[in-house]
Amino acid sequence: MRRAFLAITGLAASTTALVVLKGSPGTTQVAQDLPAAQPVNPTPQGADPSVAPAAAGDPAGAAPKPSVSAGAPASPKPSRSTARPSGTRTTAKAPTTPRTTTKAPQPTTRRVTGPGVDNEYGYVQVQIVVSGNRIVEAISLSLPSGGESDIHSGDVRDRYNGTGGEVVQKQSANLNTVSGATETSNSYKQSLRGAIEQAF
Amino acid sequence: MTYSHTHAAGRRTGTTSRHGGRSAAPAPPQTPPRRGPGGRRLLAALLLVGLLASVLPWWLGTPAGSLRTTAATLTAAGRITGLVAGYLLLVQVLMMSRLPVLERWIGGEQLARWHRDIGATLLVAVLAHVSLTLVGYADLRNQSVLAEVGTLLGDYEDMVSAFVAAGIMVLVGFTSIRAIRRALPYELWHLLHLSSYLVLLLGFGHQFSHGAQLYRPGPVRTGWIALYLLVVAALLWGRVIAPLAFNLRYRLRVADVVAESPDTISIYLTGERLDRLAMLGGQYFRWRFLTRGCWWQSHPFSVSAAANARWLRLTVKVVGAHTAALRDLEPGTWVWAEGPSGTFTAAHRVRDRALLIAGGSGITPIRAMLEELPPGAALIYRARTPADVLLSRELDWLAQARDTSIWYVIGSRDDPGPRQLMSPDGLRQLVPDVARRDVYLCGPPGLVEQSVRALRRAGVPRRQIHLATFEL
Repeated sequence: MRRAFLAITGLAASTTALVVLKGSPGTTQVAQDLPAAQPVNPTPQGADPSVAPAAAGDPAGAAPKPSVSAGAPASPKPSRSTARPSGTRTTAKAPTTPRTTTKAPQPTTRRVTGPGVDNEYGYVQVQIVVSGNRIVEAISLSLPSGGESDIHSGDVRDRYNGTGGEVVQKQSANLNTVSGATETSNSYKQSLRGAIEQAF
Repeated sequence: MTYSHTHAAGRRTGTTSRHGGRSAAPAPPQTPPRRGPGGRRLLAALLLVGLLASVLPWWLGTPAGSLRTTAATLTAAGRITGLVAGYLLLVQVLMMSRLPVLERWIGGEQLARWHRDIGATLLVAVLAHVSLTLVGYADLRNQSVLAEVGTLLGDYEDMVSAFVAAGIMVLVGFTSIRAIRRALPYELWHLLHLSSYLVLLLGFGHQFSHGAQLYRPGPVRTGWIALYLLVVAALLWGRVIAPLAFNLRYRLRVADVVAESPDTISIYLTGERLDRLAMLGGQYFRWRFLTRGCWWQSHPFSVSAAANARWLRLTVKVVGAHTAALRDLEPGTWVWAEGPSGTFTAAHRVRDRALLIAGGSGITPIRAMLEELPPGAALIYRARTPADVLLSRELDWLAQARDTSIWYVIGSRDDPGPRQLMSPDGLRQLVPDVARRDVYLCGPPGLVEQSVRALRRAGVPRRQIHLATFEL
């Protein structure tokens, strides 16, 4: 029982320590972790060949970035992360771009933007990339930002967006709600539904 | 359950051990080589690394400085405890998978202790995960915790089963608190505990549909699923395949049931290829006697003689309905055994000499171990009355053959003689080098607790004290 007591105390202490460490933005070590963690997200986008046509016309991975930061800073990163992470991202993308230009042109690729939806946390707007009869990519042009919304918008983006996200997997607006972000998920689905109706 | 009321007790009075108390082995068994703590330490380190690895995805995936509000902090803590709980649940099931490598490296007794300690931690982690997440989400949406429960149950998939899983887990956890557990019948407790496999199943879904670190396809998700598969494979191997192979190989059957004392019986078993059965004195099996009344119950009993090529023996004190039924076993009855398990053996000694302390029927594993300990061991045998002394002829024979000193200490715990002897000074007088010996203890809980206290005060390091407890 002595060890169980120690283990429980250890659990409580280390959970608190982890949360506190992540909570303080000034820690240099934490700041170094960030760029290392980020490439995990863009890799599936860059690696998937189905993005290629879209990327050729208009760099798909980069497209939401400017519009998001222009409209409302939705991503949790932009406020803190300087130009460096996004710089690495574009350089990472560069090799894929020439490869796609050599390919034969694929069936028509369209971009359709859904209606903007307001909810109590902010403004949500979704754009889809359609190739033939398939949605090949989903992009959130705007998501609520600020405070905890950053996290939840991040969750929604991670889960639905991209070429391997739930939108592409399900090919419909019947998405599972993201934990802790019911409102934003619903608004996302509403905007997505509009976009799908326009596209097909 | 007294002797006069059971006809079976008298059935074979007068029959003493049919082997005249001699070991059936042609030559005295060799002292087994030591098994160090290396395997145990390696596994403990691996499990710790696994724990860190399970929280790592959260650490890498959470931007620094993002936890600025209470809600975000609570949710993050809820995620950490959730990852820890998910991992510990898998470890808990693995501990109880009876995987031969675990039984060999850690041992059944130690596994049971780990299982208990990790179980308490797991319970706290689950409660923390549920409450932190609920409060965090409720705060985020500006609604009460109860309304949040409603939202989660209504709008989120897999959350109903997740809540059920948490409920079962809490129930299992609380009924395992010793005081509550003693008040419950064993079968009910066991059934409740078996339902924890449901937790594994019901808790599975929500981790992947809502776990912030797990819903996205990638190495983390794949690794987590692989962990699940690994644990299920370990369960299958340890609980189904290994026992099946063991029993098909050795084909154990009851050969004879012999009365050792009015309330103790020895069951002799024979089988095939017993010369190749790798078993150490002091280990136990979980026995299932395949008769109409007994087949559904499996109970751990120590083997009361070291391995020999011809028979196995277990010596059992009749204390309940199940053990009473064992008196009527017919020769030829098939026996299903799982094991051997346990680290209460000569191979786990850390010193050259040993002191053994047995209480009542606790002599059985010690009797088996005596055959394998290096010469020079000492045995203190506590019994309430002379009639409670078991296997005394064999012990006398072993005392001669293995150069062992034996003291029979007869009387109640409060009699002056036993009380004086079981004190630190008494032990030191009897065995002057007690602090430099391994001490093996087996007997009723009261005796064991009292002895451990006395031994610690007599200067015996904790790692030299070996306990035979299959119970938690």
